[in-house]
Amino acid sequence: MKRAPGLMDHPFGADYAQRTLAPADKHLAGFREQARAVFEPHGLPGPKNESWRFTPLRSLAKVPFIPADAADDVDVSAVPPGVVSLPGSARIVLVNGVYRRDLSDAIEGVEIFGLQGADRNLLGHLATAASAPLAALNASFMTGALALRVNGAVPATLHLISIAAAGNQPVAFHPRLLISLAPGASLTLVETHCGLPGQATFANPVTEITLGEDAHLRRYVQVAEQDDSFHLATTAVALAANSRMEGFHLGLGGALVRQEVNVVMRGTAAALELHGAYALGGHDHHDFTTSVNHHVPGCTSSQVFKGVVDGESHGVYQGRIHVARDAQKTDARQQHKALFLGRGPQIDCKPELEIYADDVQCAHGAATGEIDADHMFFLAARGIDPATARMLLVEAFLADAVERISDETVRAAFGRDIQGWLSRRNLKAAA
Amino acid sequence: MAVTRETAATVRDIEQYKYGFVTDIESDMAPKGLNEDTIRFISAKKNEPDWMLESRLKAYRHWLTLADEEPTWAKLHYPKINYQDSYYYAAPKQAKLASLDEVDPKLLETYKKLGIPLLEQQMLAGVAVDAVFDSVSVATTYKKKLQEMGVIFSPISEAVHKHPDLVKKYLGSVVPYTDNFFATLNAAVFTDGSFVYIPKGLRCPMELSTYFRINEKNTGQFERTLIIADEGSYVSYLEGCTAPQRDENQLHAAVVELIALDDAEIKYSTVQNWFPGDADGKGGIYNFVTKRAACRGRNSKVMWTQVETGSAITWKYPSCILQGDNSSGEFYSVAITNNHQQADTGTKMIHLGKNTRSKIISKGISAGHADNTYRGLVRIGAKADGARNYTQCDSLLIGSTCGAHTVPYIETRNPTARTEHEATTSKISEDQLFYCMQRGMTQEEAVSLIVNGFCKEVLQTLPMEFAVEAQKLVGISLEGSVG
Repeated sequence: MKRAPGLMDHPFGADYAQRTLAPADKHLAGFREQARAVFEPHGLPGPKNESWRFTPLRSLAKVPFIPADAADDVDVSAVPPGVVSLPGSARIVLVNGVYRRDLSDAIEGVEIFGLQGADRNLLGHLATAASAPLAALNASFMTGALALRVNGAVPATLHLISIAAAGNQPVAFHPRLLISLAPGASLTLVETHCGLPGQATFANPVTEITLGEDAHLRRYVQVAEQDDSFHLATTAVALAANSRMEGFHLGLGGALVRQEVNVVMRGTAAALELHGAYALGGHDHHDFTTSVNHHVPGCTSSQVFKGVVDGESHGVYQGRIHVARDAQKTDARQQHKALFLGRGPQIDCKPELEIYADDVQCAHGAATGEIDADHMFFLAARGIDPATARMLLVEAFLADAVERISDETVRAAFGRDIQGWLSRRNLKAAA
Repeated sequence: MAVTRETAATVRDIEQYKYGFVTDIESDMAPKGLNEDTIRFISAKKNEPDWMLESRLKAYRHWLTLADEEPTWAKLHYPKINYQDSYYYAAPKQAKLASLDEVDPKLLETYKKLGIPLLEQQMLAGVAVDAVFDSVSVATTYKKKLQEMGVIFSPISEAVHKHPDLVKKYLGSVVPYTDNFFATLNAAVFTDGSFVYIPKGLRCPMELSTYFRINEKNTGQFERTLIIADEGSYVSYLEGCTAPQRDENQLHAAVVELIALDDAEIKYSTVQNWFPGDADGKGGIYNFVTKRAACRGRNSKVMWTQVETGSAITWKYPSCILQGDNSSGEFYSVAITNNHQQADTGTKMIHLGKNTRSKIISKGISAGHADNTYRGLVRIGAKADGARNYTQCDSLLIGSTCGAHTVPYIETRNPTARTEHEATTSKISEDQLFYCMQRGMTQEEAVSLIVNGFCKEVLQTLPMEFAVEAQKLVGISLEGSVG
């Protein structure tokens, strides 16, 4: 296949393809082939790709990844102890993107399929290979898919734990998750993406979510990868009339993490809440990229993203709101605020509005700064030492986003994760 | 009788200039297309020194390597420009008309609404005006006064001869010839423009304006302006006309460079109302402009104000590089697009020095089938301790077939910096319209009033006489957009 000039070299070429499991399924084989035809000529997106200008992939491209299914020295027999335990939840465990029935619970009201039993029409219908280079990469090398179908109200929280683990060589995996909620169905889903210490890992998940009319999904995603790991996730969502989705994304590190969420409003009066928080240190890089597409009238969307950066880390927020000509009476808002905890980190932010309808309310805000000296003084005057005061202020800053999580258990759990990050940071600072 | 003699001499100068120009059109028009000969031709016409020709050729050779680099990132749609299909010298300009009777009545109506005096109307419409009229003699009197104070205000082609040291030192120092596709093209083929130098400590007592040089302005679509404010000086510069020029040229690629040294301040105001194309989107000017200011010194300040109502395509990002400590940049913009106009405009504020400040107020108004994009960059460098930025961009949509877009980039590398960005999009509220119309205003008057209120923050920063005309222009630009 012909490659465009000036492409960066990357490990996902012919060798990699050869070592990837051949798909048993004909449909999947064709799907993969089509995706490779899209991915190959362009390769990994470079800095000239507008959507990737703030997140360079050079460091990723240099790691000699092998496909996780070719690594026969990976042995994971339990969920790592650090993973949050959510009382009353049922677990689904994936290791390097592969569903592990032995580690997972059965969950009432949720049908779980491999690609065989899933609705074929759901695969690749929202996250097309042409829409995003990383979705094309995923589709080129996916070995299967996990499909969750929800027909009614699911009382228990579903906790999906994705563990990245490498053997002697760095591994990459490309899981695909298909979630569909029938009309009127509801689900609370928590995703924990974590890794085991060792060689670098690269998770390249793509999630396609379809909500039927009046369906309600709460999806809380936390990414806490190992310091030298890569996680580039793409989520595509379609909302039918009167459906509601609440999304929250927490980013607490990783060498290179991107959580990209693309939402399309397909039915009127759909409502989206999409929020996130990140806390970065060391050489972490975290990128939130969202695209909310109001295609029909009368929908609402609201986004609040907040982040703190320390060390030499790099935080990115790119948010795009697109309001189509017919999407009158849209109410769309987005906000990004970032706080510097030291000298060295950088923040890049691009909140974008693209509006073609006139009877709409759209607004965005963005701000960066450091901890307010007045606030520090206020707390110091009340006998609080500077380290504690900073912790309090950072927590309060992020709470603005975290408090939007409507599930109490998850809110508390994510809050504890942030506290944990802060105390680790304070310990480091003290040492 | 000294004054009379002076005036007569000036008239003679102008006549010569004018005749020279006419001759060019008749006999010396450079052949269509762009090659090294065209550039040598332009340079020879201007009687330029070798170093200037060399710098043009260098730019041209670089431009040839940029064939694939014509910017496509802006939200603008236009057919690919064939650069070999244009004239680069003696750009086509219709023959002078004998009297105002020959001028398109629609144009005259607009002038009337703007309240432009008859003489000015004639000039704007391209009617050959007897050179002995007030504004010209006024202009020359002012020029003389300015000269006595040490202000240099001349065409850049003249400055190349008279002040080569200044030109060599500063031309291309803010917008280098390698900067972008259009700036490179301009560096190769620019035909004329203004050169301004304000000496140390002088507060220029009057607003400098290209209006004074309307005759010279006809010379080309590739303008090059260079303004240098030396230590402690101040200048306010006005560019453009408030009335539409009947310019048929398709492509304008201008470059403006401003340099403010220690404690200097430059205020640069533009009202641009070039031919926007007809109601069906046919014709109109493609306006690709690179404007940039360098705040090189301590406490230097640059303020850009623009009112953009014309052109079919606007691609324009007046920027400030805030190098000096405590320097500040401000950008105030009103961009109005109607019918099939497209504007992609905004600013760049690059904070490098300590305690640098920038403020961006952008108002975009979109009507008809137009698209209006604010695109702006705020970059805070790692050494810009205490930098501050405040950005506000508001968009107003009139009708349901237009688009308003906001694409801000905020890149921060310094923890002590503070940036704020706010943007809103809305339409004219029915309540406001009803309120105005209930008090006897027509719908158009009401829209004009409301839109003027929406832009007030920006229009207030214009020099007074400009502000009045700009306000009227806002109303005129939106004619036919409601109802």
